[in-house]
Amino acid sequence: MKKYSSLQPWLTLFGRILLGGVLLLAGYLKAKSPAEAQMAVRAYKLLPISVANIFGLALPWLEIGGGILLIVGLAVRYSAIFGGLLMLLFVGAISQAWARGLSIDCGCFGGGGQVAAGHTKYLQEILRDLGLTLTAIFLYLNPHGKFGLDKKPE
Amino acid sequence: MSDKKKPLKKADTTNRNIAIGMILFVVLVGVIFSVVSNRSNSHVAIPSSVSAADGYGVVVNKDAKVRVDLWEDFQCPNCRNFEGVAGNYITDLVRAGKIKAVYHPMTFIGPESILAAAAAACAADDGKFLDMHAALYNNQPAHENSGAWTNSVLKLLAIGAGDTSKSVSTCIDSGKYINWTKNVEADAAKQNVNATPTMFINGKQLIQSHYLDLVALKADFAAVGVK
Repeated sequence: MKKYSSLQPWLTLFGRILLGGVLLLAGYLKAKSPAEAQMAVRAYKLLPISVANIFGLALPWLEIGGGILLIVGLAVRYSAIFGGLLMLLFVGAISQAWARGLSIDCGCFGGGGQVAAGHTKYLQEILRDLGLTLTAIFLYLNPHGKFGLDKKPE
Repeated sequence: MSDKKKPLKKADTTNRNIAIGMILFVVLVGVIFSVVSNRSNSHVAIPSSVSAADGYGVVVNKDAKVRVDLWEDFQCPNCRNFEGVAGNYITDLVRAGKIKAVYHPMTFIGPESILAAAAAACAADDGKFLDMHAALYNNQPAHENSGAWTNSVLKLLAIGAGDTSKSVSTCIDSGKYINWTKNVEADAAKQNVNATPTMFINGKQLIQSHYLDLVALKADFAAVGVK
């Protein structure tokens, strides 16, 4: 038990960098090519077109914000909830695309839109996002770690 | 002791909240910036063959009865393959005046797509869009945004395509139609175009397998009376 309590702050730091880093990178790559990000959201065929287009523009910045908060360790609990819910949303969206037989790239790290049938990577995408969801849950339960700006309550 | 500690703790949360607030502010500014800069702008310079009514696409044969919309990105490899299979056939139909062609050069692949689309629009002003269109696909670089398509290269391609006017060079150099490409993208977003190439014949989207199947494509055209 003692071992875990000395290890936990490092695990939290690792989780923050992992989830935060992925969010920051994904957001940056999408913010760089907004038209493609919009296209990726539209290709899921979930939202009305006008809503999908706004979502495609807003999502990258939300990811960047969540990523920065996690990496510097601010409001970790809330950022983890945000990141975790986002990952579950992605898992749901990708699953429905898979179930409906759409051929799309998830557009998670830029790119996106339709791809040739047989070039989809749904399983890998879902497993990755589930792993990140677990990371988010861990951070929610253990928000205080090394090099975080949040003050640990005494 | 605890009285002394309290104000200090408060100051700490204030700084923390300010930092969180600043990050959320950056997010908000980013979202607003993205939304504003990706809207269609009716004040930008557009080629003479382009109109808002046709989704800011480059129009050839505006009075022909059968309308074909082509959504492509000059850097997209699938578009080059499509051009290889069906390019000559479609261009012949256009040159013969049998179809109204609306070309929507999309630019989501990146900066060199923007330069290429803007250069093609410059050539359109000289009535050389089709030639420039073919020249761009014939000279599509192997890698996207590799630095191969600069304005000086595009000017040479325009000359190679038979557009030797002085105005085309000036137009490409000045980036006259760079901002127009955003309007095309904004329209693609509205029209729910999610892949390139995407082609519509009289508003009906081509079946996926017909892009690289000239026989099927010809049958689609025959179905609307174009032979």
